[in-house]
Amino acid sequence: MNETNKSENKISETREFIVNSASLKEVRSFSREVFEKIKIDQDLKDELVLAIAEAAQNIVKHAYKDIETNDDKMEIKISLGKNDELEIGFFDKGKPVDGAKVRHRNIDDVKPGGLGTFFIQQIMDAVVFREGEKPWINHLILTKQL
Amino acid sequence: MTYKVSEEGNISTVFLNGEIDMDVVDKAKELIMPLIEAKKEVHINLKDVQYMDSSGISVLIESHQKALEVGTKVILKEISKSVLKVIMMAKLEQILNLD
Repeated sequence: MNETNKSENKISETREFIVNSASLKEVRSFSREVFEKIKIDQDLKDELVLAIAEAAQNIVKHAYKDIETNDDKMEIKISLGKNDELEIGFFDKGKPVDGAKVRHRNIDDVKPGGLGTFFIQQIMDAVVFREGEKPWINHLILTKQL
Repeated sequence: MTYKVSEEGNISTVFLNGEIDMDVVDKAKELIMPLIEAKKEVHINLKDVQYMDSSGISVLIESHQKALEVGTKVILKEISKSVLKVIMMAKLEQILNLD
């Protein structure tokens, strides 16, 4: 489902993706399409695309961990308010995520893994986990003042 | 992601091309790890990699650490601007061998 709503925000676009790693390319394409409509420099666009893709990857890797076969979809909503605050919402039906337990690894302890959350926190101003409203289980909100 | 491998003496150069994400990292690891285990010096050319996420960075870390373990090295060559930015965001520019 694609949805565009420009009544309250400068931009508000929503798209659903099947929850699997093959969808991450589509997530990036969607994000790039939306950011093409916003006047920000390319470096910032690239960072925002990375943050969105990392958050989507976390849904695939963690919220759906040990769930072998599913055709569930996740939804991503990118909104730019009139005050130029960018809000990116992620909705999924995976296992409930306890936001208090979501931490990146110590960046000085160099080992594979644990960097996605660090990148998101580096790029965005705020990361908030909420319980999703039905039918969603998890609702992650990333914000950044542009 | 596509790739090409060239061999010269004990040096294997892996040319990666495209976007490196969670969906293709297993393919990248299957390509790079056996070269390291064979104690080749592995050069990973990243000129044509336009995007790399944390999964790709993990492969670079794992390759680097495996190389140290077996007594060889991995050198990252011609790193694209976008990949270098992610390496620096991960504070790995002093850890990995960049050329």
